[in-house]
Amino acid sequence: MSQAHRRTVQDSRPRTPSVEADSGGEPSPGTPASGSTRYVVSHVSKAFNGAAVLHDVSAVFEPGQVHSLVGENGAGKSTLFKIMGGVYHPDAGELALGGERLSDLTPRSAMQKGVYLVPQEPTLMGHLSAAENLYVGTLPRRRLGFVVDWSRIHREAASYFERVGLDVDVETPARELSIAQQQLLECARALVHNCRVIMFDESTSPLTSHETEILFDLMRALRDEGLALGFISHRLDEVFEVSDHVTVLRDGRMVASAGRDEITRDELVTAMIGRPIGVRTRVRRTSDVTDRREVLRVDGLSSHSVFEDVSFSLTKHEVAGLAGLVGSGRTEIAETIFGLRRADAGEVFLEGEKLEHRTPRRCIDAGLIYLPEDRGRNGIFPDVDLTRNVTAGVIPGLPLRWGLISAAREEEEARESVARTSVRASSLGASINTLSGGNQQRAMFSRWLLAEPRVAIFDEPTRGVDIGAKDDIYDIISDLATSGLACLLISSDLEELALTCDRVLVIYEGRIVGEVRDEEVTTARLGELVVGGARP
Amino acid sequence: MSATIGVDRAPSVGASVRGLLRRAVRLREIQLLLAIAVVVALSAIAHPNFVSPGNISFMLADSVVTAVLATGQTIVVLAKGIDLSVAPILGIAAVVVGFPAQNHNLPILPAVGIVVVVGLVLGVGNGIFVSVSRIPPIIATLATLSVYGGLQFIIANGQEIVNIPNAYDALGNNDVVSGIPWILVIGVGIAVVVALFLRHTNLGRSIYAVGNNADAAHRSGIRVQRVIFLTYVLSGLLAGIAGLLYLCHTGSADSTTGTDSNVNLTSIAATLIGGTTLTGGRGGVVGSVIGAVFLSVALTAMVFARIPAIWEPAGVGLLILLAMVTDRHSSNLAARAHRHRQAGP
Amino acid sequence: MATAAPRTELRPSPSAGSRGDPRRRDRNWVLALVVLLVAEVLYFSVTVSGFFGNGTGLLALTEQFLDIGAIALGLSVVILAGEIDLSAGTMSSFAGIVMAVLWRDGMEIWLAVVVALLLSAAVGAVNGLITTFFKVDSLLVTLAMQFILGSVATALGGASPPYGFPSSFVTIAGTGTVGPIPNQLIVFAVLAIVVSLLVGRTRVGRSLALIGYNRPAARYSGIRVNRTIVGAFVVSGLMAGIGGILVSGLYNAARNDIGDSLLLPGITVVVLGGVDIFGGKGRISGVIVATFVLGFLTEGLLVAGDSSLSATMVTGILLLVALAFKIGLDRRGGVDVVAVVRRRLRRIPVAGEPS
Repeated sequence: MSQAHRRTVQDSRPRTPSVEADSGGEPSPGTPASGSTRYVVSHVSKAFNGAAVLHDVSAVFEPGQVHSLVGENGAGKSTLFKIMGGVYHPDAGELALGGERLSDLTPRSAMQKGVYLVPQEPTLMGHLSAAENLYVGTLPRRRLGFVVDWSRIHREAASYFERVGLDVDVETPARELSIAQQQLLECARALVHNCRVIMFDESTSPLTSHETEILFDLMRALRDEGLALGFISHRLDEVFEVSDHVTVLRDGRMVASAGRDEITRDELVTAMIGRPIGVRTRVRRTSDVTDRREVLRVDGLSSHSVFEDVSFSLTKHEVAGLAGLVGSGRTEIAETIFGLRRADAGEVFLEGEKLEHRTPRRCIDAGLIYLPEDRGRNGIFPDVDLTRNVTAGVIPGLPLRWGLISAAREEEEARESVARTSVRASSLGASINTLSGGNQQRAMFSRWLLAEPRVAIFDEPTRGVDIGAKDDIYDIISDLATSGLACLLISSDLEELALTCDRVLVIYEGRIVGEVRDEEVTTARLGELVVGGARP
Repeated sequence: MSATIGVDRAPSVGASVRGLLRRAVRLREIQLLLAIAVVVALSAIAHPNFVSPGNISFMLADSVVTAVLATGQTIVVLAKGIDLSVAPILGIAAVVVGFPAQNHNLPILPAVGIVVVVGLVLGVGNGIFVSVSRIPPIIATLATLSVYGGLQFIIANGQEIVNIPNAYDALGNNDVVSGIPWILVIGVGIAVVVALFLRHTNLGRSIYAVGNNADAAHRSGIRVQRVIFLTYVLSGLLAGIAGLLYLCHTGSADSTTGTDSNVNLTSIAATLIGGTTLTGGRGGVVGSVIGAVFLSVALTAMVFARIPAIWEPAGVGLLILLAMVTDRHSSNLAARAHRHRQAGP
Repeated sequence: MATAAPRTELRPSPSAGSRGDPRRRDRNWVLALVVLLVAEVLYFSVTVSGFFGNGTGLLALTEQFLDIGAIALGLSVVILAGEIDLSAGTMSSFAGIVMAVLWRDGMEIWLAVVVALLLSAAVGAVNGLITTFFKVDSLLVTLAMQFILGSVATALGGASPPYGFPSSFVTIAGTGTVGPIPNQLIVFAVLAIVVSLLVGRTRVGRSLALIGYNRPAARYSGIRVNRTIVGAFVVSGLMAGIGGILVSGLYNAARNDIGDSLLLPGITVVVLGGVDIFGGKGRISGVIVATFVLGFLTEGLLVAGDSSLSATMVTGILLLVALAFKIGLDRRGGVDVVAVVRRRLRRIPVAGEPS
């Protein structure tokens, strides 16, 4: 966590109201879409490789409204947005914008017609300037001739940046922008092309609550200008905060659609998961366990400008939480403990023994494992069978026969481990990317159970996992703790932490700023601390 | 809206960071010019002849063929590709016009037309394999390297070009004004045109966009595969022109011209030494041209230092490694600075 | 690799086309190659007189391309890990020259062979160390190394590189036979089995493939990525060195000019063998079969009277066609085609599967 960052948070509290740069007078390279901009989706269906993803979905995106799609993972929300944005073609059904039927939509023609999809992860051109990113593909040219008009690009970009509240130099390379700034840049792109329909696909998930508010302010302002906005979020609070209309998808079908005030949170959740959800009770660890030996001790761990002087310890049978905003340094701390990053100072002890020259291999062998946050990038080996995915963490211990890996015994080990976490798959030979998100994550747990750890760090273990599978993962963690494992659970989901942890360490800007235990562990208390609230 | 999100709070800090960045962008070119100065200075101390107008003019003229090839290579590399087939394209262009020039006194203008067509056709071949068949560029152009090489062998049919008409020789070796050879003027002209094209046209910017992020480029409405296709066509075109320049400059060509003088390596070397990265979207033609001059100066210095010619490839190889390692170092620094800045929410 | 074609992937998991068991899909490609090999040998045996030669002629022909096979085995190890080694061809010349020069200067020939192979492995290690330590694209490191080695080999060999090695060497590494079977074929068989087992059945081999599939995930799983990659380059260097010794034995002379021409066929064999150029996917059995597919094709054309250079062109064309075909299959989603092929092939017992 840098000094610069700390200043950012304080300084970027409501400052210059920078809207109301006139929206009418700007020249634009796009074709202005005028008139009514109602975006009507009717009876759209889509299947991939024979598996239906959307089935007969209809929805209307009205100008002057924020229309949210909610649903579990795999419900088809993103697919619907991608169809609307021209990324996919629907197998059946129609799209119509302002009465005009849209056929053979591509991202380019969608943009020209006034529809813009802000993707889940902003995809910008890192080495190009922020201004060029706005116009790339259709850079305005000088009158007479084919030469790009740079001065006009920079001038206009500045005014768009002001309009969306992006305070950076127009010539800054895009890769130097934070995720939040990149989101705003994407919005500015939509405005440059005079888009009247803008869809935000989980744009808020990497943002802090403060940044989310800024984005919401922009969304409200655009809505008030008469744009039609689409929004996907997993956080129901956000959905209720910003939406005018909510549509619920389940298994590719539309199961509910209502104005925000016409539906309650419980009704929404029931519609999402297809059954009324019981009040989840706290899966608290047994606090009567006597064996509370210290297993892991972290002492004064520091990494320049990322985190500082982090010290804590974990005992047997314990589930400790690590709460903090995205960017607070949580993942970096875990990765440093696990030897993926170098520490500038500090030590890690496992059952009293110092772990020197930590590398992932040494940590695993010593009994410390880490389940990474980004399963797709750092967890699974796509297109590799389940067996080899599960045994990837224990390659040096694979069973041998005459010096060669014994396939039969390896499979046996994998089978046992997979059974412990109840992975559902057609066979051990099935490639892992054919499994659902929840089952992939279970397979990741299987991988690490094979290593027989004493300490486990789970980084966002329920991300990208649907609600049903979440409960199973909580159960797995709970069982592990009961069997003596010391667990550290990193999560942005405060409710999740409150449900599963005996105590929670709160990290803010790279420092542990508080610790709450037992009855004190409530979402409200954690919510105060993660944004740097004062200590009691 | 009520708030904004900025990179740096104080504008003055932002401006100085920007200034630093701009300087960093130019750093590679400046580094290279300094390196050239050092090599020239050291060689001049040992051999005063090194800085004679004749030798300087010779070194610059000698770098033109490499520079033109590197210009094409840069276009391809900017879009995250690589072209290992420029050597036989150069060779084919040289023999295709060389024989009629030698035997039938082919005038220079139709010769230009022919090399342009040859370069375009062979470039189209590469473009089809990479952007239509979607074969990884390194494999596709490695394969066309041998296919085109075979073609050159068949066209040359064991013959050699040893005599070229005066018009060709004049283009390759005579001066416009004293000390400035025609070939240098042509080379500079080509480099300037390509540099302007890359900086100031939509297609040029699209090449950068594709190299930066093909997916985002597609979403922005850029026809990604078409742009990639065109980079290979342009590279082929420039390699064809380089073939004519080679013929004019050296006055000879045969069945292994291009391949035997490792122009694949030198064109890639000039590109990379000039600061264009294989990861795409970063760099430019100016650096590549300076890189070509640097190579020419360094290799001439080797000759002056009486290092046998067989060590030339090794010298180029070492320079590539050196360029990569230093670039890695500077990009490490950049990445660290980047992380530092990104640490904010 | 960093030079990957920037493909726009808009469909969800484009590789998900090949559903189900990924190992079975690789096996199908190998089976297709076996069919191709049989068809090709039959064709040349019938149409080109002197190709089959009562079977012994066919076996003797293998001497002409097993050096490429050795290089390809090493290359496939590097390519499986997601890297590439463009110095492999020149490494062969280098090893041959080093051996010959040491022998000329009085060293016992077999000791000279060992020293040459150790040096090749060491140069491979340098490739790997530069690649991993400086995180430079191996394409560039090995391209540079190709030219450095070329200069060194030329300088060492001088104007007329040594020739006329002791007969024990020429018999074993060159043109000797056991019954009808060339010694080179036996050497290659041993190498093939060793590399197959190394890649398919050892812990190192497992790490290698997983690194090729997803390097960050390999790091997070505790696989020692850098160490394994350096090891892969050492194997590549060593195998290229062995290829160079085989060439020297075959011609009974060290050649500094032949190495470059071995690289392209080497890479062709690896890619034709079904190894994904981006790493991970593929099996050594495919590379072994592909060695013979390409080798017999080239030799068939040569025996039929085509010049060596047009055979090189054929190599290039084969590489382009095979890749275009394979990539086309993958892009088509692969489901239908592979499923159909699989259903048909299921009746044939699985052959040639060393791993």
